[in-house]
Parts: sequence; structure tokens; C-alpha cells
Amino acid sequence: MQRIYFNNCLTSKPAPEVVEITTEYMKNRYYFPENFNATGTEISSDLELAKKIIADSIAANSTEIHFTSGGTAANNIAIKGYLTANSNKGTHIICSVIDYPDILTNAAFFEKSGFDVTYLNADNEGFIDLEQLKNSLREDTILFMTTIGNHTVGTIQPIKEIREILDSAEQKIAMHVDACEAYARIPINVNELGIDLMSISAHKIHGPQGVGALYQRKGIVLGQVQHGVNRMDNLQTGGMNIASIAGFAKAVELAFDEKEDNMAKIRKLSDYLLNKIESIIPDTLLNGPRGNRRAPHNINISFDYIEGEAIMMMMDINGVSISTGSACASQGLKPNYVMMALGRNHEQSHSSMKFTLSRYNTFQEIDYTVEKLAEVVKELRSRSPLCN
Amino acid sequence: MQYSQKVLDHFMKPHNIGKLENPDAEATEGSPACGDQISIFLKINPETNIIENIKFQSYGCASNIATGSIITDMAMGKTIEEAKNITWKGAADELDGLPAVKMHCSVLAVDTLKKAIKKYEIEHGLAEAETFSKKTIVEELKKVIYPGVGEDIVTLKMVKYVGFENGIAIIDVDIPKFDKFRDNVAEEIKEHLETFDEIKEVKVTI
Repeated sequence: MQRIYFNNCLTSKPAPEVVEITTEYMKNRYYFPENFNATGTEISSDLELAKKIIADSIAANSTEIHFTSGGTAANNIAIKGYLTANSNKGTHIICSVIDYPDILTNAAFFEKSGFDVTYLNADNEGFIDLEQLKNSLREDTILFMTTIGNHTVGTIQPIKEIREILDSAEQKIAMHVDACEAYARIPINVNELGIDLMSISAHKIHGPQGVGALYQRKGIVLGQVQHGVNRMDNLQTGGMNIASIAGFAKAVELAFDEKEDNMAKIRKLSDYLLNKIESIIPDTLLNGPRGNRRAPHNINISFDYIEGEAIMMMMDINGVSISTGSACASQGLKPNYVMMALGRNHEQSHSSMKFTLSRYNTFQEIDYTVEKLAEVVKELRSRSPLCN
Repeated sequence: MQYSQKVLDHFMKPHNIGKLENPDAEATEGSPACGDQISIFLKINPETNIIENIKFQSYGCASNIATGSIITDMAMGKTIEEAKNITWKGAADELDGLPAVKMHCSVLAVDTLKKAIKKYEIEHGLAEAETFSKKTIVEELKKVIYPGVGEDIVTLKMVKYVGFENGIAIIDVDIPKFDKFRDNVAEEIKEHLETFDEIKEVKVTI
């Protein structure tokens, strides 16, 4: 049986069309952008087209798009670039305790370098405390950072409201968002939302691994964090992953194909999955909000009395890939920090399972998965001293 | 990192799973908060001291379940003296090895077995309850595994100081600042030592 894959936000299967175009570029269009000669100018215009495709998907201008080696690179270029270029205006930054590690580790890095960081709390559905945000604004606040669609529980932050709060300050407060999870799953219009900097990643939307993009609003100044030969602009030094950029643009075209209505399709799949789990398996707890306030691809659910790594392993042996917030499956053997910040207890964190769906999943796959999951949960509960 | 086939076999089809009614001894160690808990139930022949039946229940990961399964296999039919010689390393070896970060599962399973046996011995006048001392703390620290290499922190010479005064245990451990297991080791030390009635507070400095 073919593996059923629900880890699409860890990484996703490249679309066949992406593989095709990436291969074509590797075989026949492996040039770097250059002026005047035929090969270089051809690639330059291909890159411009790729930028336009990505820019159009977020209502930006193609001059505001930079290609990077992935979402983390985009986050680093944005955060480090903004703070180094603007530290003369202030040294206070704001993010939240449930943000993606790229944001939290950069915040910690700058905290050590003398910046003040306010870490906002989140409520039990994963929404940032906006009252705390209002009270945290200072004269020297220069940057707010958040993760639009939370990477663990899918909570979609109210970016527009956040922008209004930031705009209540006298000075300009830039907003950087990590949109690697939310991009192509919810509509993002950078102008309507007032986003200044945004990272996106190709491999979570059926594009190639190792390529992403940074949106940089016109007028937002970034310091250079990586130095080297300048091929496109000073944020994109060094060699370029042309084949993957071409694949990335193709993945974006496919994800945003209006005929397919992928966002609605994924929402239907995840609604079906959640309903089925909740109707068949007793003693479960959904982590994060319900409905449209949640990114459509994410279902995170805890199963009482049992531990998540065991669920993950048994499902894996049954041919289904899902992930867990259990400490036993984590790098540092720690409970998941997002779950703990949402007020879940250790057991609920250890038993939390995350499904991230894609347009390639099917209702039949979900039927099989929930059938197996019900068996696995029943079996593990029969072994557990907590329910016997 | 991956599990051996033997771990997966014991995880998928564990031996001796369940509860024994009216056991001669039982013990539960670990806690759901830590992500692993194991209960062991023993039936012991009072004349021969042979473990005639043993069962376990597990809340935990694949290696927790597999180690529970293997140590109950190893202890079944043995005298309690023989069963006391089962070590966490021996249990891991029987499973064709465990990943370093999972060695604590083997420690938990073997420790639970030994606690159950100890209870039986005390109840049947075969042993006396140990008097608590600094040595007890050091022995307990030998059950705290540094997940980076799968060895205990005493053997690894990570413990620099052990103090015990007025119910306060002071443990000084040497772990590099950047080490991802720092918090985990500190938590593990606390969890192990806080189970002793004699210890009111555990202070861990790293």
C-alpha cells in the first residue's frame, strides 16, 4: 500500500509538474542571470517571471520579492536585516511565546545583543493577547514579529487588528510575519494586512526543498546579513538555485489555480478528518480553534491516557505519517512549548497528534487513517495504567 | 535514529501486558507528566521465591512498551534474586539496543521491577528498608540518563557535588550551556529525588 502522508508542513511531495520543470532547468536551463548574453538574459527574464508569479499571489510587486534558500533564510534575512538597519530608531521588539522557532531564536539572539524583547502570551486557542500588545508598545518599539498560521495548532492571527494596534504608535513599527505554514492555505494580501516583511517556503506547498522567498515592502530598509557576489541584489548574494526557483514558481501557480480551489478543497478534507475522529474516537481534545480561524490544513488533537510517540509509531507501521507533540519524540525530550503556552498539561501535550493535509490527500485516505487510528488508540489505551 | 526490529516487535505485540489480580507485589514508577509511566505486577511463590507470573501496564512511547515487555520476559520464572540482577543495559541489549535518548525507558522499567521486588522482600522479612543517606541520592542519580549518549550522569562524571542537609538535596551537575538536554537532565534529577519522603526540596545547579 502506498504511504499516506499527513506531514505536509514538515515537507510535502513535489508536484509532478514541479519535478518536470525543475528537471528541465537542471538539464537545459542551468545558467545564471547575466546581462547581454543570450543564456544570462534568458534566465534573468525567467527569474523576473517567477518573482511576478509569487508577487501576484500575495498582491505584491515583483520588485518586493527576493528568493532565498528557504523559509528560515528568509526569516533571518528579514529579522537580522531589519534590526541591524534600524537599531538607531529603537531597540524594542515584540513577538509571542508561541511563534515559530525562527522568530524565537532570532529574538533570543537580539536579546543577548542588548535588545529588549516582549514575548506576548496566547490564549487557549493560540491567539495572541492583543491587550498585552497594546500595553507593550513603547517609543522605541521598532519591530513586531509573528507566525500567521501557527505551526503547531494552525491558529490564524488577526493580522489586520494587529496592524491597527501597531499603527496607533507614533513611530513606524514594522511587521514581519512567518507565513511558511499559512501561505497558499489562506488568502494573504500584504497590502490589506499591512505586512512589511514576510517569509514563505516552497517545499511546504509541493515545491522543491531548499528554496523560499522574502517579501520586503518597498521602503522597508534591510541591512545586508550575507555578503558575497551580487547576482540579483544585495540580499541574494552568491549562487542561485535556478531550477528550484522555477519549480517554486510552478508550485505557486498550481496552488493558486483558481479552477482547483485548493484552499476550499483542503478545508473540506480537514473538516472531514476532524469530524470523523471526534465521532469515532472517545476522549479527544482539539488543540487550537475551530472553523475559519484555523488554517485549513492543520488538525491537532490530543488523545487521553496514551502517549503520542507510540501512536505515531503504530500509525507509521500502518503506513500513515503523522507527527506528535510528545516530549519522547522531540529533540530535547521537552513537551511542546506551544501546547504548554496554550495551557495544555503535560499529558495533553504528550498525546497531541498533528495532521497537516494537502490537496493530494483523499477522503479514502482519511477513512483508512481514522479506522487505523481508532484501532491504535484502543490498543494503546488497553495497555495504559491510566485507563485500566 | 531508529528502533531495532526487536523493539518494534515487542512494541507492536508486547508480552505479559495487562494487570494481575491480587498480585504479591506491584510498583508504579514514572508519571504521565514525564511522558512515561510503568506499572509492574508480580506473583511470587513464597517457598521458592520464583516469579511465577509477571505483567505490566504502560503509558509511554514505543521503547517504554518494548522495555516493559522484555524485562517481564527476562524476569518470568526467575527467582527474585536472579531478577534483581537484571540491568537496564542488559534489557537494552536484549532488545538489540535502544537509541541513546531512549535509554531512560529501560532504566524506568528495570527500576520499577526492582521496586516491586523490594516491596515484596520488605513485606516478607527478606530485606529491611534502607536508611536514607547521601549514598541513596547518589544511587538514585545513577538512574538519571544523559540522553546525549545513553549513559547515566554518575558514570559520565557529570555530577560534581551532592549535598543533603535539613531535607534539602543539592546537586551540582556539569553540562555545557548550549547542550539541548540541560533542562531535561535537571528535570529528571528532580523527578527522581522528589519521590523520597526524606527530601523536601531539590536544588539542581548546572
